[in-house]
Amino acid sequence: MATRTLPLSKRGFNFEVFMWAFTRFTVIAMYGLLLAGIIGGLIASAQTGANFGDILYWAFFPNLAENPLGQIWMTILAKLMVIAFLLSACGHGVHGVLEILDDYFTSAGARRWARNFVITYAVVASLIAMYVIWTS
Amino acid sequence: MGSDRNISLSAALGYKGDGPFLTYILHRIGGSALFIFFTIYILSLLGAESMHTLMGNWVFQVVFLVFGLFHAINGLRITILDLWPKLIEHYRAAINIEWAAYILVVAFALFIVLRNAFGG
Repeated sequence: MATRTLPLSKRGFNFEVFMWAFTRFTVIAMYGLLLAGIIGGLIASAQTGANFGDILYWAFFPNLAENPLGQIWMTILAKLMVIAFLLSACGHGVHGVLEILDDYFTSAGARRWARNFVITYAVVASLIAMYVIWTS
Repeated sequence: MGSDRNISLSAALGYKGDGPFLTYILHRIGGSALFIFFTIYILSLLGAESMHTLMGNWVFQVVFLVFGLFHAINGLRITILDLWPKLIEHYRAAINIEWAAYILVVAFALFIVLRNAFGG
């Protein structure tokens, strides 16, 4: 199968191309943060003697009552990383959810409402999450 | 703008897209699962007790990890093939590698969740 590649200069730079690039870059940012998180988990595992699997489990579900790392992982750096991950995930997710909804909402009005709703939801949820993470 | 699609559910389910189509559908399901998880996570952070209980439920954790991890690993394959288009020739091999990586990661994740759920 021959591959077809078209340089960005010939594709034109419209909204679709921008969102495609945005989605790719945010996901690369998330992979970078995940990798940093895994390395942080290994360091925390070495420092505390806790099982690495448990560290990852607590990282995924940090607000469960029995999480013994609550105070350890909530440093300024960790908070900034979590907020960066949150914003990347939100930007990535907004585009993804709209892509799915656009496949089912075919009228222009429904698509506009879906777009407004999802973007508003993402902004409000991000603000709440950033506040809670920063003040925890 | 409207759609003229007129495909029955049985016809849609019978579509023989094989591996690439399966990953496409699972990627969408995974993305939707992560969107729901994100909502529950925010409500839990806000102190909603029912959402907190839900997040602690092992069935919820299993469903989230099975679909969420697939989304993450499949997304990595898509990103790699997008950034290095010459690799698209080997897309079926890439999907096989993806499944192998996914099974290893998800098995580890499920082991941790189930061990936490049932003690040990």
